[in-house]
Amino acid sequence: MIDYEIRIRRKNESQLTKRWIWKLALKDAKYNFNRLFLFVSSIVIGIAALVAINSFNINLQQDINNQSKELLGADLVIESRNKTFDTTFLKSIDSLNYRMTGDVRFASMVFFPKNQGTRLIQVKALDGDFPFYGEVELLNSETFEGFYKKDGAMIDESLAIQYDIQINDSLKLGNGKFVVLGIVQKFPGNTNISTTFSPSVYIPYHRLESTGLIQFGSRYDYNKYLMVPEVELEALIEKLRPTLREYGYGFDTVEERKEDLGRGFQNLYRFFNLLTFVALILGSIGVASSVHIYIREKRDSAAILRCLGASGWQIFNVFFIQIAAFGFLGTLIGVLHGIGIQLLLPYIVKDFIPVAVNISLQWIPVLEGFAIGLIMATLFAFLPLSNIRLIPPLSLFRSMVEGVGRRSKFRSFIIVLIVLFPWLFAVFQSDSWLYGSVFFAGLLITFGSLWLLARGSIWFLQKYFPAKFNFIWRQSLANLFRPNNQTTIMIVVIGLGAFLISVMSLIQNSLLEQVEFVGSGDRSNTVVFDIQPHQKQDIIELVRDYDFPVQQMVPIVTTRINAVKGKTVKEWQDDTTRHIPNWALTREYRVTYRDSLIGSEELVEGRFYPDKSEINDSVFISIETGLAERMKLTLKDEVVFNVQGVPVKTFVGSIRKVDWQRIQTNFMIVFPEGVLEGAPQFNVLITRIDQKDESARFQQDLVRLFPNVSAIDLTLILETLDSIFDKVAMVIRFMALFSVVTGLFVLSGAVINSKFARLKDNVLLRTIGASKKQLVNMTLIEYAYLGILAGLTGSLLALFASWALSVYFFKMLFFPDFISLILICLIIIALTVLIGWINTRSIVNKPPLVILRKEV
Amino acid sequence: MSHILHVKHLTKTFKSAERELTVLKDINFSLDEGQGLSIVGPSGSGKTTLLGLCAGLDQPTNGFIKLLDIELNRLDEDDRAYVRNQYVGFIFQNFHLLPTINALENVMLPLELRGEKKIKGRAEEMLARVGLEERMEHYPSQLSGGEQQRVAIARAFIASPKILFADEPTGNLDEETAEIVSSLLFQINREENTTLVLVTHNLNLAENTGRILKLERGLLIEDITV
Repeated sequence: MIDYEIRIRRKNESQLTKRWIWKLALKDAKYNFNRLFLFVSSIVIGIAALVAINSFNINLQQDINNQSKELLGADLVIESRNKTFDTTFLKSIDSLNYRMTGDVRFASMVFFPKNQGTRLIQVKALDGDFPFYGEVELLNSETFEGFYKKDGAMIDESLAIQYDIQINDSLKLGNGKFVVLGIVQKFPGNTNISTTFSPSVYIPYHRLESTGLIQFGSRYDYNKYLMVPEVELEALIEKLRPTLREYGYGFDTVEERKEDLGRGFQNLYRFFNLLTFVALILGSIGVASSVHIYIREKRDSAAILRCLGASGWQIFNVFFIQIAAFGFLGTLIGVLHGIGIQLLLPYIVKDFIPVAVNISLQWIPVLEGFAIGLIMATLFAFLPLSNIRLIPPLSLFRSMVEGVGRRSKFRSFIIVLIVLFPWLFAVFQSDSWLYGSVFFAGLLITFGSLWLLARGSIWFLQKYFPAKFNFIWRQSLANLFRPNNQTTIMIVVIGLGAFLISVMSLIQNSLLEQVEFVGSGDRSNTVVFDIQPHQKQDIIELVRDYDFPVQQMVPIVTTRINAVKGKTVKEWQDDTTRHIPNWALTREYRVTYRDSLIGSEELVEGRFYPDKSEINDSVFISIETGLAERMKLTLKDEVVFNVQGVPVKTFVGSIRKVDWQRIQTNFMIVFPEGVLEGAPQFNVLITRIDQKDESARFQQDLVRLFPNVSAIDLTLILETLDSIFDKVAMVIRFMALFSVVTGLFVLSGAVINSKFARLKDNVLLRTIGASKKQLVNMTLIEYAYLGILAGLTGSLLALFASWALSVYFFKMLFFPDFISLILICLIIIALTVLIGWINTRSIVNKPPLVILRKEV
Repeated sequence: MSHILHVKHLTKTFKSAERELTVLKDINFSLDEGQGLSIVGPSGSGKTTLLGLCAGLDQPTNGFIKLLDIELNRLDEDDRAYVRNQYVGFIFQNFHLLPTINALENVMLPLELRGEKKIKGRAEEMLARVGLEERMEHYPSQLSGGEQQRVAIARAFIASPKILFADEPTGNLDEETAEIVSSLLFQINREENTTLVLVTHNLNLAENTGRILKLERGLLIEDITV
């Protein structure tokens, strides 16, 4: 009966409202403030990264939405590649009575007589009052409308700076001379980077003919811009779709432009999201390890409270209150830091983004930050905290009594939540169940591998303990498996830290390597294009006069497709079950003819030359793997081309893989020699020019003698890309810093905290006469072992994980940077040993009694 | 007079991965309210384990323990903690004060756990009884061993326990300090009329309780009334 009463009375006791619980929590926390510093730091950095990146993403998205019409300048753009709009089509569009304007865009050379400068630019011949939305901002007082009337030209600011061009200076485009009337600072859809890379010269449409630049083979895009009320846009597109398809025209809307832009930033977003995930996971590891070690030190206090009559939950609450309070503090500081860092991001990324990013406080990421911070602080603390609930009072008398580690429903529930949290967060952050689950699985595999490694090492050391080693070695190695050892937690924490830091570094390197062109050696660096057949010989002579090599003279023929696998394009378009995209059927193909593969190509299927038995009246062509996939073409499939009005029946003879990143004239379709020689064509000449001034002189002569011909100096592009990439690299490195700093904090904290575990042993050894050197050596060996094992394993796992991330998540080539990987591994080992040594210093430099009285 | 503590067929075995160790075998005894009892025996004879089991700090492998008519075997750990808080006091060889709170707060702790209010005066009075009125604000690390044990005595008696368990209370102290501390312990015990269970190596100290249980290799070999 009395037993029952006890149970009832105890069950009626409240667990959290007891004053002593709060009082003790506060008193104890004051005493342990420095030990919870790592805990707070882990949360601060993880949450700062989360809030900063997510807020910035939302601000950017909002600005893209708000300014999206300005990106396009109109509601609908109809595009025609390399051919003028059909007059019947134009009439039908006109009859719709929407406000409409148009332009023609193409690449050409500009010549500045003032300083004899020449450069490949984008010509934009504008017809009428473009843009409908947004503004063209000019540096001078001229209005954009004014330049139509005055027949002048306008140029991008970057071009004006590069060639020192002022208002009223003149320029030459083909045969046309223009006076510079305006310097354009902002044009709808342009980014600072895009104008630096490919600056524009704007001329009125009616002056285009005077330039004589539109010739056969030139690549030019005709655009028609329409202003359509939003409610009518969708219906209009549906109405126009069959006609557009029939003519092979494309279209672009504000929505599509937004999506394109989103896709353009996809890898950057993905990288940022991955960084947030990594920072948060590192933070969580920091939380779990610091609380684990903190709670371990509290075992005696918990057992005393148990003896005095406190229940397991009451003791749990004492420490939970501390953790929750410090967790709240860390979250608050993290959120504030995140908001602060977010203010910096627009300045760092402004050159890449075609919209002005307006920073405003985003409540959703702030609230997310708060919620995730508190969840992270408490959830990862729960598992070590749940141990304290089960500490048996008898552990005051015997250190090895059963109790801790006992299974409980609460503990199992927490383990499930701990597994779910990073998984759900990965899914939330990557916005994909698949990617999120794969991230999480990767993390789990790493964790499992490290845990197995740690347990395996302990087992190995116990089984094959080097009993013949000297005392220092024996003592330090034995520390790795003795009771209260830190081996498992240290290897897991250091290993995970090394893994995550290395992954970020390797991914960063691969991202940076993606667009680094190789312009060294004998590779071509100048491309002369739009060479008409009658100019071919004269240009070859000009190149040879300058003593430049003619590395390639590539003929190019423009064709379209008439039929595929026996069905005409129209029949394919009408076939609702087809899987071939419309653009692949209707686009213009620029093909070449030659008798061999080039360096950027690799034969995947078939033969580049047909067998004698296969040579008959049909033409064997070679197509690129991507195109074969999209067109669902396999060997021997029939494709009928329309070469300038003449149908040419061909069969797929081979499928090639093309490395599009190589600077070569690469083609989707290659014809054999002897078929297209008589077709209208133009040529591209490839050469290498080493001297800058020679290149300038050559280009001046080229423009003067052959106004329709253009040349690209790739060294200029390489230099521009270098400067662009320095900026991109800075953004990536700045963001990666989050995870690296968090990782280092977690590592340092884990090592610093481990000091308390070895404190009693070391003081005792010191007391019985161990020398300073002996203690330091023992510590160095122990930490070196932990650092090497964890660092090496983490780095190796990172190599595998970053390969998988690069190929399957970022869909890019993997460029492992082994030097960075080795460097990170060495730094982590050195850091582990260094902090271990610093820990020992605080013991060996003080009399043992001082430490004993203070700590024990 | 009723039994405050009744132990019957008590056996305790510790299991680890490699082996089983039986530290107490079939122990039987009873203790009346207000009586004293010392448990003596060589190291490893099971004294401390017996004390811990009697105080409800652990569960026996076999047999049962009744403390104040409460069958401890039937209670879970939290219920036993409640019993300890309401009826039991402790004094340990290693003092076991909470290092992060001061002497006064350590003494107040059992009453705080009970949820009692206006306890500061009682704790100050208790500390004065053990001669530490000048050291109330000091933390354990700022006190000597003797002083720490006096704080532990004050903490043990402040909640007026029905039964006090003391594990080698003078084991960590020098002779002179041990004398002072043990006198204090017996004096307050008499004044409070608390049942005392004492584990000690010191036979003189053991005789002060009036009854001695002698253990050897886990067996109760003698039950002597002095």
